[in-house]
Amino acid sequence: MSLLSVSGITKRFGGITANRDISFDVEAGQLIGIIGPNGSGKSTLFEIISGFYRPDAGVVRLNGSALTGFSPDHVCRLGVARTFQKLRPFSGLTVVDNVMVGALTRTLDVRHARARARELLDRVGLAEKAGEYARTLSTGQRKRLELARALATEPRVLLLDEVTGGVDQRSIPGLVQLVRDLHRGGLTVLMVEHNMRVITAVAQRIVALYLGEKIADGPPDVVTRDRRVVEAYLGQAYVQ
Amino acid sequence: MHALPQLIVSTILLGGIYALIAVGLTLIFGVMRVVNFAHGEFLMLGMYLAFWAFALLRLDPYVTLVLSLPLIFGFGWLSYRMVMRPVIHASHNVQIFTTVGLSIALQNVALVLWSADSQFVRTGYYTVVVRLGTAVLNLAQLIAFAVAVLTTAALFAFMRWSYTGKVMRATAQDRAVASLMGIDTGRVFALTWAVGVTCVGVAGVLLAPIYPVYPTVGLQFVLIAYVAVVLGGLGDMAGALLASLIVAAVEVIGSYVIGTAWKEVLYLLLFIGILVVRPAGLFGQRGAEAIGT
Amino acid sequence: MKGTWPAVVFFSLAAFGPVVVRDAFLLDGLILILLWGATAAAWNVAGGYAGQVSLGHAAFFGLGAYSAALLGTRWGLSPWIGLLVGAVLATAFGFVLGFLSNRLRGPYFVLATIAFSQVLLIVGSRWRGFTAGSEGIPVPFRPGFWTLGIADKRVWVVIVLALAVFLYLIELYLERSRRGYQLAAVREDEDAALSLGVPALRLKVAAIAASAALTAVSGALWAQYVGFVDPFYVFSVDLSIRFALAAILGGIGTPLGPFLGATLITTLETYLRASFGGIGAGLVGIYLIIYGAALVVMMRFAPQGLVPWIGERLRRRPVAGPAS
Repeated sequence: MSLLSVSGITKRFGGITANRDISFDVEAGQLIGIIGPNGSGKSTLFEIISGFYRPDAGVVRLNGSALTGFSPDHVCRLGVARTFQKLRPFSGLTVVDNVMVGALTRTLDVRHARARARELLDRVGLAEKAGEYARTLSTGQRKRLELARALATEPRVLLLDEVTGGVDQRSIPGLVQLVRDLHRGGLTVLMVEHNMRVITAVAQRIVALYLGEKIADGPPDVVTRDRRVVEAYLGQAYVQ
Repeated sequence: MHALPQLIVSTILLGGIYALIAVGLTLIFGVMRVVNFAHGEFLMLGMYLAFWAFALLRLDPYVTLVLSLPLIFGFGWLSYRMVMRPVIHASHNVQIFTTVGLSIALQNVALVLWSADSQFVRTGYYTVVVRLGTAVLNLAQLIAFAVAVLTTAALFAFMRWSYTGKVMRATAQDRAVASLMGIDTGRVFALTWAVGVTCVGVAGVLLAPIYPVYPTVGLQFVLIAYVAVVLGGLGDMAGALLASLIVAAVEVIGSYVIGTAWKEVLYLLLFIGILVVRPAGLFGQRGAEAIGT
Repeated sequence: MKGTWPAVVFFSLAAFGPVVVRDAFLLDGLILILLWGATAAAWNVAGGYAGQVSLGHAAFFGLGAYSAALLGTRWGLSPWIGLLVGAVLATAFGFVLGFLSNRLRGPYFVLATIAFSQVLLIVGSRWRGFTAGSEGIPVPFRPGFWTLGIADKRVWVVIVLALAVFLYLIELYLERSRRGYQLAAVREDEDAALSLGVPALRLKVAAIAASAALTAVSGALWAQYVGFVDPFYVFSVDLSIRFALAAILGGIGTPLGPFLGATLITTLETYLRASFGGIGAGLVGIYLIIYGAALVVMMRFAPQGLVPWIGERLRRRPVAGPAS
């Protein structure tokens, strides 16, 4: 049985179908990338898996039991954590307190949570920022903070929304390496990514969406050469 | 149902006044995203202005109305510069408490100047009534209604056709883009605030010959305006106009059916109900209330 | 525990007050400071820690005051039972308001709370048959602790001090506990908190309900202390603003802030009333002008309040200002 299974997900907003009958499975330990031009439904799918949107049809399962229908906090406690494309740090809290909020989902002990938060900050390279307010961090640092915060909830599946988006070029390799390390550590990762170079470098498998539908699913070198994927991206390029 | 014509006439007259209070409030929210908790105090000041002019200078409230327009507008502009401008980009809570502070200060300035007693503007035509079929209406109410409708119409025309009005609407839609297009949003906000204050100030002068004035009189009227503004959709001027009539109808019919003592409960419950069921207002888009975050 | 010494000093001073001070006027001031401080602290649980700013908390205060007064005058029950009934009623209304807070954010929530308190004001002042209407209810003085008929102001100091310390401890809990951290996350960004497994709605509802119940307790004690319940006072928007103002002035979302704010406000009020009271009743409005102006100025220059402003380095926990 696959760890995370997405089957038949459909979501409409008024007359627009953001997701149409999307299905794929994620095996434990895989790192899967989701690609697609703007408006292809990647974000909607993420919101559905993490419980922020309710699909009109279809179901998401974790280890065989349904996630759909549960509130986002419940989905997180069941083992699916996420980051946000538009970063949402708790700006008025310190960096370590931000991560503690995640850790406190798994422990009742504040001291234990703090220790765990420091460990994770160390892991993402933010240890020396622990006492600062989150609002003082740069975009790259905020991405790391979101990662640490999500990891603190001890997820079985981590959803990453545009890890390298909006980050300056020099910070990208570090972030990519971090994701790769997490994956090597055994974490199952599902990442939405705009940057094709990044996704082909880290993902074992890529799911491509276009206009709300899945158009390709397979190893990176196959998917990136897929005729429909190329057309989707080129078409996008022409339109722009 | 011989009372029906009277009920309809009363509703329309009352609705016109409420509309003038409500459009100012909704304009300020629409453009500036500020809920003005001091709105009622500007109404109160308008009423006291009419009272003072009447008591000291023997000026008829309608003369005062014309003379005081620049004064009210100027006071609005000044209050923006001194109080609102520094917090215009601050969080909702900071803005809420700033207007609450302004409200407390203005209320008590009035208390110190005029005491807590009710004051009346007793004009010669105080008791003059007009008969319209079987319906009877107070002359002052009729005038207030006419001026309120004219003012509201003028504001609508201004927003729709004048260049400045268009600039204000553009700022309401997206202040960041408006700013990129070279619109001086600071001036737009100042103007919006001053225009909103003028509307409610005018309403105050118009109400002076009808209702007694006391320092906290603003609250009862502004609560109604809140109901109308939320019902019509915060920031939606046409919605506020229509909603003012609905609220007036609830009040008039409510007083007729269950008595004046409990009529406020009716519209307050209506208010809470609307907030719960459709916070975006009757005509608004769902989810617009999330702006409040 | 570090960072709590200013509170220890504050409450110790209050505790020693009755030992050294016999003057009824000063003791009365002390009682009001503690009572208003406790009420502002109760407001702070919702408005500060949960970020749910209410301008209708007088509704809960009035529920407490009326419960104690009505149960006493109509059925001869102890005000302690009235206090409990008031707290239960307030909790029930708090739950409703808490669930509404999920749909109503920012200004919408504020408007709903004002409307709610106005409904209770009308019920309190118009339902003559039950509440005695706009005349209000004189609370009969029945000597004894069980009936809270206490003439000795020093005993009152002890009672309200106990309430104040209890509220301070609750706030300390919200500052340092697991639930406190989670609530801070909800206040900062609800969606982000949800994504980290924080049961946001449950926490908000609990905070608002607790805040309501605690406010009602203050109201019940206040009614017994003052001896008269006036609907136009206990349900007024002015009173709601007063709770909020004390918390904001002292430092919204800080444990000691509401007490500091209440101290400043009550002292200023008492002083100005004493100095201007004789000249003309209208002049008491001067202190409210000062409040209003102070609020405007504070929002501009120190929206986070005085406690954080004075003692930034006393605590490492950041504070939640309305600016956040």
